[in-house]
Amino acid sequence: MTAILLKGIYHACFGLSYLVALLLELGRLARPAAAWRAVALAFGVAGLAAHTFYIVAHKPDPATPSGSLLILAWVLALFFLYGTVHHAKQAWAVFVLPVVILLVGMSYALFTSDNPTLDLGVPAWASGERFWGAVHGTLILFAAVGVSVGFVASTMYLVQARRLRNKVNPGRVVPLLSLEKLEGMNRRAVTVAFPLLTVGLLVGTLLLRHDHSLSDNWLSPKVLTTAGLWVVFLVLVYLRYGTSVPPRQLAWLSILAFGFMLVSLGTAHPFAEGGRP
Amino acid sequence: MNLRAIGCNVESAPVELREKLAFDASKLAHALTELPARYGAEAVVLGTCNRVEVYLARPNEQAAVHRALVAEFLAEVHGVPTEAIIGKLYELGDAEAVDHLFRVAAGLDSVVVGESQIAGQVKDAFEAAQKAQATGPLLNALFPAATRVSKRVRTETKIADGHVSVSSAAVDFVREVFDTFTDKTVLVIGAGEMGRLTLNHIRELNPARVLVTNRSPERAAALAAEYGGQVIPWEQLDEALVQADIVLSTTGAPEPIVPRKWFDAKVRPRRGNRLLVVFDMAVPRDFDPRLHDGDRVSVFNVDDLNRVADQAAAARRKHLPAAEAIIATEVQKFVHDWNRRKDGPVIGKLTTELDKLREAMVSPLLGKLKGKLSAAEMEQIEVAFRQFQNKVLHGPIAALNEASRTDHGGTLREALMKLFGLNG
Repeated sequence: MTAILLKGIYHACFGLSYLVALLLELGRLARPAAAWRAVALAFGVAGLAAHTFYIVAHKPDPATPSGSLLILAWVLALFFLYGTVHHAKQAWAVFVLPVVILLVGMSYALFTSDNPTLDLGVPAWASGERFWGAVHGTLILFAAVGVSVGFVASTMYLVQARRLRNKVNPGRVVPLLSLEKLEGMNRRAVTVAFPLLTVGLLVGTLLLRHDHSLSDNWLSPKVLTTAGLWVVFLVLVYLRYGTSVPPRQLAWLSILAFGFMLVSLGTAHPFAEGGRP
Repeated sequence: MNLRAIGCNVESAPVELREKLAFDASKLAHALTELPARYGAEAVVLGTCNRVEVYLARPNEQAAVHRALVAEFLAEVHGVPTEAIIGKLYELGDAEAVDHLFRVAAGLDSVVVGESQIAGQVKDAFEAAQKAQATGPLLNALFPAATRVSKRVRTETKIADGHVSVSSAAVDFVREVFDTFTDKTVLVIGAGEMGRLTLNHIRELNPARVLVTNRSPERAAALAAEYGGQVIPWEQLDEALVQADIVLSTTGAPEPIVPRKWFDAKVRPRRGNRLLVVFDMAVPRDFDPRLHDGDRVSVFNVDDLNRVADQAAAARRKHLPAAEAIIATEVQKFVHDWNRRKDGPVIGKLTTELDKLREAMVSPLLGKLKGKLSAAEMEQIEVAFRQFQNKVLHGPIAALNEASRTDHGGTLREALMKLFGLNG
């Protein structure tokens, strides 16, 4: 119980920092001022520092829903920082930070249903005893980063395409990246995430087959939603490279893939449940 | 200050007259030599497509150069009857002339409020005059001040924000779609003036290729030669559209030259997912507006671009009061500083004269009293005379300072010189 409360405080610490940064960025959209941006960036960096400290100190287990979401949120917080510096004029944070906050919130909400003791000490995947488990987890994590980047790029794409469809005066709205840039970002995210996801799932499948104690887990929500995510990705890759489907539809599919990923990450992992491999 | 700004602009004179009064390089050189020689004045000639203005400054004690003289001069240089000019000229003096130049440089007097080109033109006009040694202390202070004020207005207000021309609004839209342009192909259909203007802006983005197609091969070849483009036969319009990323269309065709069905059948399947931006400047329109989806194909017509330009212009006008306030402050500051600069020698002379007068009165008095009064008492007498002198000087100096804030410093300065006999 104490561990849960303590973790709640940590999550609130960096989650609220990200939230304040987001609110300041939204304020900047309403009334542009350099000071807003500087303060927003400061809060974002403070949140990232606290987040990093927590991950280093507590080594959350990526095989648990809470741990995987938290690590993914951390990678996306880095992405937020990169984008805020490199695309200073664009409303970058407004699209990335909500995803980071959502993941942190989900991580906290799901923590209560995790085994809190898994967060303490060195997790199994990091011990070097289960190499293939770690490979599987790392590949899935990087694929999840790709899916998340694809989601952010797709959301921005849809907003930008909507503006263009309505012929909104570019001088009267907050600048976004160009359609070309967003489409390219989404394409790269999918292109990188798909092979990572495929190999990660293959490794996971082999691990499940190898360990007979986990054989009952083939129909677990985690496995099913991850398989669903892979199918969506397969369709996405086919439509992107095999047909000329409008980019807007591909953006919607990327968003669907992100939804699958959230469900997948939010459900209990067979390895965590079984404590193996 | 003895400054005059005399000239005409879009509001006071028709374009036909402004065209006749335009200064080419040789006429400008002649004017910058002749104006100082003829009128003993510092001179700057500012000529743009919207205005022809002559700024003349003479010493305070001389009469100002007036409108009739400038009209005669312009008539002589351009071979236009004086009567055709004089009624179209405005004449602004001293602080009003300063205010006018500051407003012109900041783009507040331009047809397109806040346009930035004028600031460079003001600077060029001054540099040309300086090079011809036609400027002096007043214009050497005034024109750099105008450039500084122009920068201040543009930095501190949003008077120059947004694109207010149709062709530059097109660039705003194209930047929403594309990120890089060095790999893009621009297709120009037709040879309308609006298409050319937009192409000028688009070319600044350094596209990889410019393709030109026209029903008239000769006109296509001429336009292609002008812009370093490649001619595509009119019959291969579909092929050109497959290759293009940005299209500028300005034909005079009575019906759309790119109907939706034709585009969907002949062009779309061959383009894949490549993005296309079309600027349809033609009236009637060249492209079927139903092609516009804001995703793969974005079609903007003249009305769309006009709307964006009008919104930007309206947004700029909202910042006019702030810009006017800066100009008013800067005009007051310039006039005050200039007058103070002129006051310095007068105050110096006045102080020296009264010093001499005091010495002339105190020295004999102290000589007579020597030995009768103590050193401390002698010192008190000297201090009393000094204080008296300071009290006498305080009134005129304060009045000069006060007058220098307005533009009446010159009159008061002359009065003081006469009253205290400082001219000799």
